[in-house]
Amino acid sequence: MIIVSPLEPETARFPMDTSSDAQGAIVAKGVEMSFPAGNQDIQVLKGIDLSIAKGSVQLLMGPSGSGKTTLLTILAGLLTPTAGQVELLGHEITQMSRRKLSRFRLQNIGFIFQGFNLFPALTAAENIEVALNLKDIHGNSARRQALELLGEVGLKDRADLRPSSLSGGQKQRVAIARALAGKPPLIVADEPTAALDSHSGHATIELLRRLAKEGGATVLIVTHDPRILDVADRILYLEDGEIVSEDKAAISH
Amino acid sequence: MASIARKNLLEDIPRFLVAQAGIMFAVTLITIQTGILEGFTRSTALVVDNSKADILVSSNQVVNFELTLPIPAALLEEARAVPGVEIAEPLLLGSARWTKPGTADIVPMRPIGFYPDGQLFRLWNLTAGDIDRLKDPYTAIVDESSLDTLNAEGVGDTGQMNSLPATIVGLTQGTQSTASSTFAFMSIESAKAYATVGLTSSVRCRSNPDGELDCSTVYRTEDSETGVPPVKPLAIGDAITHILIKAEPGQDLEALTQRLETVLPEVRVMTREEMAEMTRSYWKSRTGVGFILGLGAGLGVIVGVAIVGQILYSSVSDRLKEYGTLKAMGASDWTLYRIVIEQALWMSVLGYMPGMALCLGVSVWAEASMGVTILITPVTAIGVLGITVAMCVGSAFFAIAKVTRVDPAAVFRS
Ligand SMILES: Nc1ncnc2c1ncn2[C@@H]1O[C@H](COP(=O)(O)OP(=O)(O)OP(=O)(O)O)[C@@H](O)[C@H]1O
Ligand SMILES: [Mg+2]
Repeated sequence: MIIVSPLEPETARFPMDTSSDAQGAIVAKGVEMSFPAGNQDIQVLKGIDLSIAKGSVQLLMGPSGSGKTTLLTILAGLLTPTAGQVELLGHEITQMSRRKLSRFRLQNIGFIFQGFNLFPALTAAENIEVALNLKDIHGNSARRQALELLGEVGLKDRADLRPSSLSGGQKQRVAIARALAGKPPLIVADEPTAALDSHSGHATIELLRRLAKEGGATVLIVTHDPRILDVADRILYLEDGEIVSEDKAAISH
Repeated sequence: MASIARKNLLEDIPRFLVAQAGIMFAVTLITIQTGILEGFTRSTALVVDNSKADILVSSNQVVNFELTLPIPAALLEEARAVPGVEIAEPLLLGSARWTKPGTADIVPMRPIGFYPDGQLFRLWNLTAGDIDRLKDPYTAIVDESSLDTLNAEGVGDTGQMNSLPATIVGLTQGTQSTASSTFAFMSIESAKAYATVGLTSSVRCRSNPDGELDCSTVYRTEDSETGVPPVKPLAIGDAITHILIKAEPGQDLEALTQRLETVLPEVRVMTREEMAEMTRSYWKSRTGVGFILGLGAGLGVIVGVAIVGQILYSSVSDRLKEYGTLKAMGASDWTLYRIVIEQALWMSVLGYMPGMALCLGVSVWAEASMGVTILITPVTAIGVLGITVAMCVGSAFFAIAKVTRVDPAAVFRS
């Protein structure tokens, strides 16, 4: 008997990437955001222009309340700005319908959270399988890819443990593996090291950087953490809703 | 979606068990109430269902099998003369009071008189004794489940019915109507004797000014009589309750029914199934029993919806961050609904199975220990599964509404 295993969509990587290399993977033009607060609106973002090069690791830093998370949420297609345009991989997303945007995120963006946001009822492998299931990869093929990804973050032997049995650093590595599932061209992270100690925080981001570079993904990380400065290609400083400086990383690779 | 639904369900075992208990409660309540109603209504028409008659002739005032007016026995002969009638036999329903010497209980009885040798009413499910013994005067066969009520031990036991002796000569099983007085199956002669004992009647007529006759029946208690009078055969002038009719082979029952109704005066003629249905629906609806038991079943649904709804809602509320994460990752609303609905379906199936098993156990126990029939038909079982699934999925409504409101933009803020 011949068992035919389904072909894996190894090359279905950048399904919607229509941008040229010269263009940034993430481009914002005149992005403003205000939230209603009583009678007056408070303006949180005051005209953000930026362009993040494809394949780069970009940090977004700034004091608390400066609007970093808000900007990240907009750039990740989760929140529509009050004004301005956002182009991801050459697609203008601020005019997209909710449904289309959701589909766009599914195909193109991996998410990493401060609190890991793993599903406590599922094992490490299952957490990754869920992300693959959403991308229409099911069954054995999903299982195999999940284990592969866990191997890449060095947790193959923890595949069947639940998040509650993993250390913080391990949890964030599982979350990184999940964000990398299906090899999305964009990865966004908000304070991914805030819940980790200095050593594992640095190791985790270093791992993220390496895997992202291997896959050619563009990474945007919001952080307070000065210990991961050296991991970045570029750093954006946000202050009171405005970009105050744009640095090449202090330590180059 | 992998196994999120199932894993979520089993993540919090105590909560899961509460949900299952709630569903089991609902399933049990609905099934038992429906089963009692089904068993009850079926039992009310058992005697009709088990007769071999094609057609029953009754008073035109008939309300149900037992609630009707007498008709003259003379109609028997007239019915036999109607073309298409093969056999016509009388059935006499009486009412009596059973007492047992040495006990204070008075038990209302329903004597059912028939021809022990007849063909259209054959006593069924006989578990002891002999139908032929009914040919002896003042004998009766009762249902096993009635023995306790009658303070009787079994075959051979005696008591008094309407001041006449009565001997139990046989036992049946599953013949008693839950809605009726205790059935006492007996010969038509005995039934007639119990119906008329202690009373002699005479008819007095007087011509009135219009030239018509005013007649009245005068009953007199025979308190002078001593000893047990012999039973007398059915006579032309006696009253009976129904005429059981067997049609000649190949007869159109519809047409024969019409013919009988035209030929016989002041009667209502129904097929066996019509009479049974009339009786069942009387007890189901006119008495309010259906309503009350339906209310109980409805209560089961409400409690089930409340418990399952609450559990699903709180389960979703506890996992808003997870649902938000899925939404951010690009899961569609429907993907999330499927998770909630799958949980609801698992809950319904996992609650239904032990619930139904419990009901089957209870029905066996109730039948054996109390003679109460809780009839769980396949239709009921499937219907209750449908209700359970609908109940669980329906109660997911609020959980689904909550999932819909989850804002993925808040995912970085939790
Ligand atoms: N949904 C909202 N409604 C009203 N105000 C909001 C909302 N979201 C954010 N803000 C406001 O926008 C401002 C910027 O918040 P944001 O979370 O983007 O800051 P941040 O730079 O990420 O801060 P931190 O470093 O503490 O995480 C804050 O003043 C906050 O109160
Ligand atoms: Mg923030």
